[in-house]
Amino acid sequence: MINHKQKRLYLNILTHAVLAIFALIAIYPILQIVTVSLRPSDKLLSTSLEIIPEGATLRSYVNLFTTQPFLRWMRNSAIISLTVTVTGVVLASMSGYAFSRFNFMGKKFGMMSLLITQMFPATMLLLPLYIMLIYLGLINTYLGIIITYTATALPFCIWTMKGYYDTIPASLEEAARIDGCNQFQAFYLVILPLAAPALVITGLFSFMTAWAEYLVAAQILQDTQLWTLPLGLKSFESNMSTEWGLYGAASLIVMIPVVVLFLLLSRWLVSGLTLGSVKG
Amino acid sequence: MSSPKRTLFIFLFVAPAFIILLGVVVYPFVYNVVLSFSNMNLRHLKDWHLVGGRQYMKVFTEPTEPNFYIVFLKTVIWTTVNIFFHVVIGVFLALLLNRKIKGKSVYRTLLILPWAIPQYIVALTWRGMFNYEYGSINLVLTKYLNLPAVEWLKSPTEAFLACILTNVWLGFPFMMVVALGALQSIPHELYEAADIDGASWYHKLKNITIPLIRPVMIPAITLGIVWTFNNLNIVWLVSNTGEPSDQTHILVSFVYKAAFNLYRYGYAAALSMIIFAILLILSLTFARRAKVTEGAY
Amino acid sequence: MKQLPAIAAVVALVLAGCAARSVDLRRIVIWHQMRVDERVILESQLARYMKLHPDIRVEAVYKETETLRSDFIIGAIARQGPDLVYGPSDQIGPFQVMDIIAPLEPYLDSGWIASINPKGLTWYKGHLYQVADKLGNHLTLVYNKKLITHPPATDSELIAAGQRLTDRRTGQYGLVWNYTEPFFFIPFMSGFGGWVMDDEGHPTLNSAGTINGLKFVRDLRDKYHIIPAEADYNAADALFKDGRAAMIVNGDWSWSGYKKAGIDIGIAPLPVITSTGLPCAPMISPKGFSLNANVPPEKIPLIIDLLKFLMEGENQLETAKILNTMPTLKALYDDPFIRNDEILINSQKQIERGRPMPVVPELRAIWDAMRPSYQAVLGGAKTPEEAAEDMQILAIKKIEEMNE
Repeated sequence: MINHKQKRLYLNILTHAVLAIFALIAIYPILQIVTVSLRPSDKLLSTSLEIIPEGATLRSYVNLFTTQPFLRWMRNSAIISLTVTVTGVVLASMSGYAFSRFNFMGKKFGMMSLLITQMFPATMLLLPLYIMLIYLGLINTYLGIIITYTATALPFCIWTMKGYYDTIPASLEEAARIDGCNQFQAFYLVILPLAAPALVITGLFSFMTAWAEYLVAAQILQDTQLWTLPLGLKSFESNMSTEWGLYGAASLIVMIPVVVLFLLLSRWLVSGLTLGSVKG
Repeated sequence: MSSPKRTLFIFLFVAPAFIILLGVVVYPFVYNVVLSFSNMNLRHLKDWHLVGGRQYMKVFTEPTEPNFYIVFLKTVIWTTVNIFFHVVIGVFLALLLNRKIKGKSVYRTLLILPWAIPQYIVALTWRGMFNYEYGSINLVLTKYLNLPAVEWLKSPTEAFLACILTNVWLGFPFMMVVALGALQSIPHELYEAADIDGASWYHKLKNITIPLIRPVMIPAITLGIVWTFNNLNIVWLVSNTGEPSDQTHILVSFVYKAAFNLYRYGYAAALSMIIFAILLILSLTFARRAKVTEGAY
Repeated sequence: MKQLPAIAAVVALVLAGCAARSVDLRRIVIWHQMRVDERVILESQLARYMKLHPDIRVEAVYKETETLRSDFIIGAIARQGPDLVYGPSDQIGPFQVMDIIAPLEPYLDSGWIASINPKGLTWYKGHLYQVADKLGNHLTLVYNKKLITHPPATDSELIAAGQRLTDRRTGQYGLVWNYTEPFFFIPFMSGFGGWVMDDEGHPTLNSAGTINGLKFVRDLRDKYHIIPAEADYNAADALFKDGRAAMIVNGDWSWSGYKKAGIDIGIAPLPVITSTGLPCAPMISPKGFSLNANVPPEKIPLIIDLLKFLMEGENQLETAKILNTMPTLKALYDDPFIRNDEILINSQKQIERGRPMPVVPELRAIWDAMRPSYQAVLGGAKTPEEAAEDMQILAIKKIEEMNE
């Protein structure tokens, strides 16, 4: 008979094994990109399977920072992405709350419209978006692209926030109101902290929407001074002459802020915040 | 809260988001509707005019290679298979990562990398892995599993499968993150109570976990369906714009090729409207059945 | 809220980045699809120009070829876009039909025009729409001197050399190339006497040239086994750079990449097909500048001045030396470097055997019509005869659709 402790150990080992296998599958293609970035010649594929290629060199990384305005792209992307993250999280946390706690005219339509706005194939929307932004004078501006990205991220964010709020019992606000808070304070001081995990999802998603997006950025940011990372990366790309060394190196570096952000935000992916506060 | 105060509160909380959202989306959408009734193409680029439903007629009657309905069917398969695996793998990994084990951060970081890496290079890397002679996938199949090598990119079914595999790899981290967040909303006490009652893991999963992560998973799944349905990028890159012989297409890549290559913007607009309508009907049906806009408690 | 000052600061920062830009006569914008090493040369030439003209600012923006095309069209619809657009000549036809580029000959004197190689000037429907500084974009036979010293001159020599150099055990191939893409099939179609269209722009795909060309490519793989079973552009490129392929069919854009990878390359014209006596003729295309139709008339003289500067002998020679492309200024053909550089000599031989790429919009429809049937032959689903017939039918249909 296996006792409880042994069963736990066995399950833990199994968990580790499964996670390790998936982690390996997750990183294998990325290791290939590491190889691409270290290769002395611009080659995407190789006939050999080695991870560290023959004649490995860090030249692509050096070139990336010295011959290309990589840091400028990174700065532009950071400004835009962080702004979109903040705007997205603020607006979504507020809208989601209203949708969760109240019934009002147009609520159902509002929720449905979040879904519907995502359904149209994006390629066709680029031309009219471009025309509209020219008319508004928002081409080649951060404001134009931030507004567009926020609009892209909002549907998912609002809906997710609403979903999470729905799992928090309304009795908590009642308790807060009894203690003298108004509706806004109940939202801000009590409910919002409890919805931290949803804020993490929303924040990360908004960031990724802005950080990795290419098509809209290519339409709006015509001035090379304003280029974001995806546009910069695309400039290494040529139908048949892509600078794979630079592209590989850049791709790996582009991942780092995302990972850092994820690690920072993961602190709030903790549970047990809800109950214990209201019993019965 | 009094009624006018309540209305003001709701307005202030909801309006800014929706002004931005609708502002960005409405004009392009209306423009596209107008274009779909026009003859904008190579010969009528700046001087296009309305021609009624001619473009729509073409979409329905013009024989295309491949057939519209086959592409539609492929799109449905593409969407369902992808979402199924994204969600199952994502939730599964989230459950594992939610346990008390050491090195969680390491695993979480590694597992999120497919989401973080730029898609262009990784999609082409995957395409390289499917190469018949030199790709890692066939090497693993032949050397370690003693299976015959597959001609991934030369046959329509296998090429389609290659696109799906790549997209599953790309998509599970997102669902995993959402599931991780969703799991945090479940109070420990519920599991403890179930343990006291002697419930099995399956019972806990079915009656506690799944229902309670639903409210947060539903937006991700519903939107995931919509996004995957319209995800042009991966199919385009892995199959090198539809190879072999334009067989590897989903509706959006099909639109892109049929319309944009030959500058048939009016036609593309009509085709996009039809894709939109199909997606609308499918999603609304799904949404109504799953009661997506309602709460959990 | 406590975060309000922080948010306000971010908003202020953002708004500061929104500099409003008005129409600026002293700012010239060029959109191009030059790859990285070409770009570097352009930037340095532009820097020299700006030193000579301190009050003018020139900006060069890179866009990938397909994106360049569609973005230019979108820009034109909105009456925006760059002042000059740079690319291969096949974009001229569509742009002209859409009326988004302007004729250049009213602004250039005939003496200057006469100094340029006619192949570098793209006339269409009676007007000059593109002035090119590079001639080529053509496929050639590139060989690895370490593996093969004498490139084949005929198709039988090619097959013999290929068989000699293909060794399945070591994974080495005699010949590799992106043979699934129609552009890379054209030389073999022309070698057997076929071509994509006639002088009026009607497709001529159902010819013996197409059929025999298809059979030839298929035989290279299935009968003579000198090319890999599967090779797209990146795969063929990788094999050649790995030193595992003796020969590759690739264009002038790739040569500097191979040299950078340390391959000792030689360039040779593609072989002659013995049964027809015809050389395999690739498409050649100039790459040059076109003028956006939206440019205000008062700005045009400034743009022409820039254009002439970039076309000057000194600049073209510099480009030719670094990139091994053929210049278009007639006077340069007597320059010692151009006459003596081995790669340029062979490149010139291939250009002489090549055929100009059509600029008419119909070409695009033809590519799209060729691709599925071509790949079906390679996949074994169609016979070459069926494919040629299907290509022709589909091309006619697509051209009709495009021209409605």
